[in-house]
Amino acid sequence: MDKLNRKDYLLIQKEKGNVIFGVFPAQYPREILWAMNVVPAEIWDPPIDISAANAHLQSYICSVVRRGLELVLQGKCDFLDGFIFPHTCDSIQNMASVINDYIGQTKPCYFFYHPKAPYWQSAHQYYLAQLKDLATKLENDLGPLEDGALRQAIEDSNQIAQVVGKMYERRAKGRLGGQSKEFYNTLRKGEYLLPQDFIPLIERYLRDNRLDSAKQGIPVVLSGVLPNPVELLDNLDQLGVWVAHDDLLNASRRWLAPEMDTSIDPFEVLTSKYFNMPPCTTRGAGIKERAKFLLRLIEETGSKGIIFNIVKFCETEWFDVPNLQNLLKKHGIPSLVLDAEINQGLSGQMATRVEAFIEMIQ
Amino acid sequence: MTMPITATIRYHFMKDIGAPFLMRLQKSRRKRRPYKPSPYLGPPLKCASRLREIMTRHYFLSRYATKAKPIAWVSSGAPVELLRVFDFYTIYPENHGALCGAQKMGPEICQEAEKQGYHPDLCSYARIDLGHAFSSKTPVGSLPKPDLLFCSNNICQTILYWFKELSHYWQIPLILFDTPYNFQDIRQVDIQYMVAQLEEMIPKLEVISGKRFSPKRFEQIITIAKDSSRLWGKVLATLKARPAPMTIFDAFIHLAPIVSLRGLPVARQYYEILLHELEDRVRKGIAAVKEEKKRLMWDNIAIWFKLRDWSLLFAEHGCNFVAATYTNAWAETIHYLDPASPFESIAKVYSLVILNNNLRHRLNIMRQMIKDYQIDGLVIHSDRSCKPYSVGQYDIKRLLAEELGIKTVVIEADMTDSRAYSEEQTHTRLEAFFEALGAI
Repeated sequence: MDKLNRKDYLLIQKEKGNVIFGVFPAQYPREILWAMNVVPAEIWDPPIDISAANAHLQSYICSVVRRGLELVLQGKCDFLDGFIFPHTCDSIQNMASVINDYIGQTKPCYFFYHPKAPYWQSAHQYYLAQLKDLATKLENDLGPLEDGALRQAIEDSNQIAQVVGKMYERRAKGRLGGQSKEFYNTLRKGEYLLPQDFIPLIERYLRDNRLDSAKQGIPVVLSGVLPNPVELLDNLDQLGVWVAHDDLLNASRRWLAPEMDTSIDPFEVLTSKYFNMPPCTTRGAGIKERAKFLLRLIEETGSKGIIFNIVKFCETEWFDVPNLQNLLKKHGIPSLVLDAEINQGLSGQMATRVEAFIEMIQ
Repeated sequence: MTMPITATIRYHFMKDIGAPFLMRLQKSRRKRRPYKPSPYLGPPLKCASRLREIMTRHYFLSRYATKAKPIAWVSSGAPVELLRVFDFYTIYPENHGALCGAQKMGPEICQEAEKQGYHPDLCSYARIDLGHAFSSKTPVGSLPKPDLLFCSNNICQTILYWFKELSHYWQIPLILFDTPYNFQDIRQVDIQYMVAQLEEMIPKLEVISGKRFSPKRFEQIITIAKDSSRLWGKVLATLKARPAPMTIFDAFIHLAPIVSLRGLPVARQYYEILLHELEDRVRKGIAAVKEEKKRLMWDNIAIWFKLRDWSLLFAEHGCNFVAATYTNAWAETIHYLDPASPFESIAKVYSLVILNNNLRHRLNIMRQMIKDYQIDGLVIHSDRSCKPYSVGQYDIKRLLAEELGIKTVVIEADMTDSRAYSEEQTHTRLEAFFEALGAI
């Protein structure tokens, strides 16, 4: 199943009677969806040309939002049964409203607001209430949410966190072969595969790419939203650099979840998960907390530097960069900042900057 | 937090004696430029000098507030009424940013932030604020360093990212009033969350300010804030008159007290005077634009560095801006404010504002304003710095044109950073707009 392309996979799931929802970035309780036979198909960076979205969005809006809206406008989401919009940033927030309120789109839309840090006790209670509210709305449209199904989904999620955790751990120790591109291609299949298909895929990847001796090369940490453009990963591979860990919104910030206690109330479990995920800009994490996290990644992997690969116009990420760079510098950690469009390759200038950075840290 | 007695005495001396004396001195020394009547604009508002005095005094006194009062930097949409109970001296970085923009200092101060690595694509209010923190550059002399940062994400998420930077830079606490965005109707669970946050803030504010919370004082402040906002609403409503007694460009300026001094008696007093003057102008038929042929609405934050030029440009074409979604934001939800139920009503007032509400709500408000203010045309400022205000504007333009046949122009610019503004392109667009309106 995992060898099918995304669209074919989703269509097969639909034939099986599952419901398919398009889910915009970034943080949402996928366990509730799985438990209700909903396949979340995440929409991050569809490889399409932007044309129709230009009539709705200004040129200073990031390409994640522009591509997401373009996908809807081009009718490529017509086979979906609905949409979920987490509250990630100002642009996604308004794009959600454009889709729901302005363009005559009739599929059901669900919204998920997650509290922003600094958190107090009320944030925990609110998140719990938000989970229950989402579940109730889905139940109204799709039928009851069984407690057993939700517990099973949490177990599946635990298992995913475990195998993905192993991917990251082996990579961090240099015991995972293959290219960075393959690592992220595999991981990103989790954006639409159900656990029963995603877990074996990761297990196979781990088996196929096991290294008995430590990898040679220069380890670095990658921070930002997405592991794009792919050409950046290729470029790093060619320069003998391997991404030893990441702080990507699309990757570790969502997949490296703490193990959840399945014996207590499932909604409480999911609440606890949200507040124990790696620090993330979209949840309002503090700068010190983020710097501490990055320093831990550097220390654990022996990385020589950090590449902040930030999507153009992403205010959520851009604000923290100067302070993070300064704090890292104080610890002797060099960093490089790239201002990238997600699917537009690596310009000659960017490639030169990457090369110069690698020369400096090796 | 304990306040040294000398700082307190100095503050009160300046407040009661020094500032009034200096204001009088400044007034007497100010060279009165002879009033030259404009062929297009009506006489200026008399109370503009009172406004200047209030705001100058506010920024002047802030220099003496350090150590005499707890100082908070506050976002425009944060429930400042709660801070007033603890006697915080409040500074509004957005108001300061607007001032810098109007004084055409935006690019210079933004560059101070850019030198420290802040990307030029980031919000220019934020860059001005950070640039000021790094360089102390400001048109108001100086701003006091805050003891607290207080913001609400009801206007944008950017405010949280920006205040987080300040909090880190100064190593001072940040309090966020997290207002869930209303994708659909507000729910009881959202209100409960916001009420709980307000309650959780109180002990923290007590520690920072060294003062105890007083429910009675809170009720009084809420009453003042409610009165001021209602007066502001009435001020704006005078623009329904034909001809309108002031322009939205005036309102952008006279907005300062409702943003920066909300909850203080001075704001209420000021709007009483302003309302009185405007009602008088309506009675006497004094127009802000002498030949008000077309009535316009503005969408988004002002382009501060073009305020004066555009005031003349539009007046020359017989166009007057009589409504704006932006100025309306400090009046539209005030009816929810209830001193008898302070926490719950504050939650509603602050979370139901235009920018924290879905775009269907915004369209409804604009439809209503177009009707109430007899609008002929709409100018949309697509503000590079403000994504929650700007994303959706192209659809608003389309939908209002389809439904009401309203003529609209979109101006791509920035509220304070003139580097993101093209005079030539804008003029070409405006000329076409005037032509379509029949205002040439």
